[in-house]
Amino acid sequence: MAAMLAERAPLPRFFSRGALALVLGLYTIYTLGPFLWLATMSVRTTAEISADHYAWPKVFHWEQFRIAWVDSDFATYFWNSTIVVVGAVAVVTLLGAAAAHALARYRFRGNRLVYGILFSSIIFPPQITLISLYQILVDYNLYNSLLGLTLVYVSLQLPLTVYLLEGFFARIPQDLFDAAKIDGYGDLEIFRRIVLPIGMPAIATTLILNFIQLWNEFLFAVVLITDPDKRTLPVGIRAFMGDHFQDIGMIATGVMISVIPVIIVYIFFSEKLIRGMTAGAIK
Amino acid sequence: MTSISIPSAAEEGAQHAAPSLADPRRASWWVLTVFLTPALAVYVGLTAYPAFRTFYDSFFTIEGLDATFVGLDNYRALMSDETFWVSVRNTFIWSFIAPVLDVVTGLLLALALYAGVPAARFLRVAWFTPVLLSYVVVAILWMWIFNYDWGILNAMLRAVGLGALASSWLGDPNLALGALIVTHAWKWAGFNMVVCLAAIHSLPREVLEASELDNCGWGAKLRYVIVPMLRPTLLNLYILAFIGKMKIFDLVWIMTQGGPLWATETVSTYVYKRAFNWNTFDLGYPSAIASVWFVVVCAAVIILNRLLATRERLEY
Repeated sequence: MAAMLAERAPLPRFFSRGALALVLGLYTIYTLGPFLWLATMSVRTTAEISADHYAWPKVFHWEQFRIAWVDSDFATYFWNSTIVVVGAVAVVTLLGAAAAHALARYRFRGNRLVYGILFSSIIFPPQITLISLYQILVDYNLYNSLLGLTLVYVSLQLPLTVYLLEGFFARIPQDLFDAAKIDGYGDLEIFRRIVLPIGMPAIATTLILNFIQLWNEFLFAVVLITDPDKRTLPVGIRAFMGDHFQDIGMIATGVMISVIPVIIVYIFFSEKLIRGMTAGAIK
Repeated sequence: MTSISIPSAAEEGAQHAAPSLADPRRASWWVLTVFLTPALAVYVGLTAYPAFRTFYDSFFTIEGLDATFVGLDNYRALMSDETFWVSVRNTFIWSFIAPVLDVVTGLLLALALYAGVPAARFLRVAWFTPVLLSYVVVAILWMWIFNYDWGILNAMLRAVGLGALASSWLGDPNLALGALIVTHAWKWAGFNMVVCLAAIHSLPREVLEASELDNCGWGAKLRYVIVPMLRPTLLNLYILAFIGKMKIFDLVWIMTQGGPLWATETVSTYVYKRAFNWNTFDLGYPSAIASVWFVVVCAAVIILNRLLATRERLEY
């Protein structure tokens, strides 16, 4: 802040500009540095890392990724994560969009009550459902299954999805719906041919946000999955680390495998993602 | 709403009648059922029912398939459970203090970007990156950063001759909670930054321009214009961060498992330990902890909303 104050004081301006740049530069190293360090370690062998933890890779051992993918089961974890997350995101977006449309568009008794009920669970601490969900999934033979985890993930992301989409759908002009009614569209057609196409930007934002949150989810996965073949990436990495605590190079490679999809999504959709994450917090 | 349809003379005369079914904002119960049932079914089956069942279970001792009714015994045991109170204390410290760190850092970063530093676009993306990393990844990274022998923190301290300060950051009961709070703030500062930045950009331009005309310096502008106008957003961010920290589990579980000596035990990790990790095989007692904590979190959010948001209503 000193730097900003100095806008009005001519003498220390140059100095404080430099100070500001220094602080911001250091902060950038602080946020990106650990990640770059991880990236360099992922292409070095554990022996090289142990010799010097901070050296730039002399040889890029890309085969580390093949070893992690094939020999250390990260391919299994990766595909399990993909199946669960893609399935859950597809289902929750469809269910959430349908509910959000009904809540945003139609007047009926109890509209705000239904909205409040669906939305309020966003503050629930996860333990309130965690223990019982474990019992319920055991009862229905869905414990330790990817289907069970997918269903739970749908319920976890439902409040956020309804909240974000309801806010957007409510801003679609009513005239469009009136015109569609006059053209003889039924309610389902209106949803499919007007709300979904027009709402696509918001739906895309919701998809991306849900994808990242579920891709990173750990608590429910670690409780509801025990079979090593069914682990998702966060659980798999943690299990691998438990078994091979010293194998830093391979852990770093596994972590990179889990981070790369998120980074790719971020590179292509950073604006949408940031907008989605801010939508909930600004009033 | 019905301006498009041409009202017949009869309807003109019957203004008091309820809106006709032609009102496009009305839908038959059948349509509402089709749209709302799937979401409500998921909510009832996988959120509401499990939550009620947890409450119900908290009055039992549940070992495998045997449930024995014990009344309020679990709650009585909880009141005298020292580990529980330590975990409550840790979680409260984290939840009330750390959000200030998050929000202030986020606001300062957002102001730096707003003030027009060069490469602002790159910096925004760079500062936001940690938000996207999973807790597992963040935890592993920071376990390495805090490593006693070769972690970057101790390496830097030794490099500048402060080797005496090099510590076992996660192994010392006095330092572990602070180390976790720093790690958590590292992940979330970027989120607070983008929210603050978006809020600053949505401030009415005239007010900011007026303050510039009045020869208002950055400090005064910040104190008298920007921060008061951002108040609703900042409070919202504080409450969001608060909720997140009341639930904190992943980071603690991977980095310290609540240790050393319960120094980083949070309510979430304690519930998990009692339910799935210790060989107590009783799901009733952890259900009681979860129920108590559910009430505490909801009450805290409501109270914070009332206390902090005197004029503006918050969505959370």
